[in-house]
Amino acid sequence: MNATATSATSDATATRLSWRALRRLKRYPTLAIGLSLLTVIVCIALFAPWLGTVDPESLAPAKRLQPPSAQAWFGTDMLGRDLWSRVIYGTRVSLTVGVSVAVIASICGLAIGLLCGYFRKVDAVLMRIMDGIMSIPSILLAISLTALTRGSVQNVILAITIAEIPRVARIVRSVVLSLREQAFVEAAIASGTRPMLVIGRHILPNSLAPLIVQATYICAAAIITESILSFIGAGTPATIPSWGNIIAEGRALWQVSPYIVFYAAVFLSVTVLSVNLIGDALRDMLDPRAAKRP
Amino acid sequence: MLRYVIQRVLATIPVMLVVALFVFSLLYLSPGDPAIVIAGDQASPDDVARIRALLGLDRPFLIRFGDWLLQIARGDLGTSIFTSLPVSHMIAQRIEPTLSLMLLTLVISVSVAIPLGILAAWKAGTWIDRSVMLFAVLGFSVPVFVTSYLLAFVFAVELDWLPVQGYSPLAKGFRPFLESLILPALALGSVYIALLARMTRATMLEVLSQDYIRTARSKGLAMPPILFVHALKNAAVPIATVVGLGVALLIGGAVVTESVFAIPGLGRLVVDAILKRDYPVIQGTVLLFSFSYVLVNLLVDLLYTVFDPRIRY
Repeated sequence: MNATATSATSDATATRLSWRALRRLKRYPTLAIGLSLLTVIVCIALFAPWLGTVDPESLAPAKRLQPPSAQAWFGTDMLGRDLWSRVIYGTRVSLTVGVSVAVIASICGLAIGLLCGYFRKVDAVLMRIMDGIMSIPSILLAISLTALTRGSVQNVILAITIAEIPRVARIVRSVVLSLREQAFVEAAIASGTRPMLVIGRHILPNSLAPLIVQATYICAAAIITESILSFIGAGTPATIPSWGNIIAEGRALWQVSPYIVFYAAVFLSVTVLSVNLIGDALRDMLDPRAAKRP
Repeated sequence: MLRYVIQRVLATIPVMLVVALFVFSLLYLSPGDPAIVIAGDQASPDDVARIRALLGLDRPFLIRFGDWLLQIARGDLGTSIFTSLPVSHMIAQRIEPTLSLMLLTLVISVSVAIPLGILAAWKAGTWIDRSVMLFAVLGFSVPVFVTSYLLAFVFAVELDWLPVQGYSPLAKGFRPFLESLILPALALGSVYIALLARMTRATMLEVLSQDYIRTARSKGLAMPPILFVHALKNAAVPIATVVGLGVALLIGGAVVTESVFAIPGLGRLVVDAILKRDYPVIQGTVLLFSFSYVLVNLLVDLLYTVFDPRIRY
């Protein structure tokens, strides 16, 4: 920062900073689009009860299968439930699953990746296990795991998390391996710094950027996987409105009443798209070396 | 070279063992007791115990795992709890649709995605590049069942060009066979195409910035031969790797696509088995899918030398 900025009042600095942030957003239009879409979606999830919704579970057999109208904005399903309310409340499940999986998988994957990358003996064993888990296609792994337990949102989160951890661990490990060869890490080791301190002070901060990017992609993937699990009937219990459940319920009628599937599908796709756009932009910003990778 | 091949093949053994252990313990730990399910509501505890002994469910974990591995090694995947048919038999019956679907998807995806990626890299920064990348990010974001419904709605319901659902075996003629698989293959391929196109573009961009490409251009060579002959050859290894890794997407997606398009394949088999908790069938199909995935990637690894003769092991 230059001399004028340091001598300016904190107010001016703040404005300057926010201008800089805005200019940055302009350079990354995908980030701006992704962030604004996601903000709207998060608001929808937070303010679901005040968005003209009724109880998403309340049945009204007299009003079954009504196409979208002024009363029922997205129409009603075969049990007469209001689809607008169900889709709006479904936002909560998807975001909860996406964010929880991203956070838990990142923390566990980070721990495993750091250990594997730094301690070669742990590496041999743990990475074989990770390779094994990774060779089971993730959706297959997640549905097998949810079949183990009775359906609940927590179990869905757990199942998807287990499927995603190896991917995080691999990326963190590869970053750690290349960091270990760098002079500043060798210097720290040579000067007798304890391993945990080397990891915490030198390696961890440098592996955060790719981790954050990966966490964003995992969030998007988790939202998709949850919807797929619910769609096949092995995910979120049918009593909780989730986009996958709504689409699964509309399956039998999709040729007659395509609107049941349609709105949930649009919400689902737009949500995942916004997270992916943020991920792409973050990758270009935080991890310039990886910007060329897909 | 031979040493490398042997090493690489041996390296897949621990991976496959972990997969096997995982698949086995997954179902070992499951809370439902198939003996109680089979015995029915009226059964006495004695009946349940007898069925449990009959199924071998009362023995210790490691012994069951070892027995099970030996069984698998002999090609015996056990017997379905619900249909009483051998699992290997059930898989054999259903492998044709799934294999055809995946092969068709693979062919379509590779022949669409690689030219798209090359085009995007060639026209980098232009609107062509942007629209290919937009298409790719959409491919990543729209779940496979949504793509399936969208395609079925447009091409089967509205335009009535192709069948809405169902599968027609190859034995009943090639045309209906192909027609029944085009929409599922396109739906299944959307994510795969997106992944491949992005990877191709990224790799091509890197290759195109190298000196020998500039030399080729400055000696007056046209762009198409440079792209497809000079550059693609050097981009082949990373692209092939992603083709192999992406097979996981195809397997996961097949589970869904087969449900939407009512294709009686392995994906449907696994979904039905999971909903019914038919352990031997789940074990057999998950193992088969995972082992094929490992083998495909082993094959890709071994093919590197073909794509790039500079690689010597």
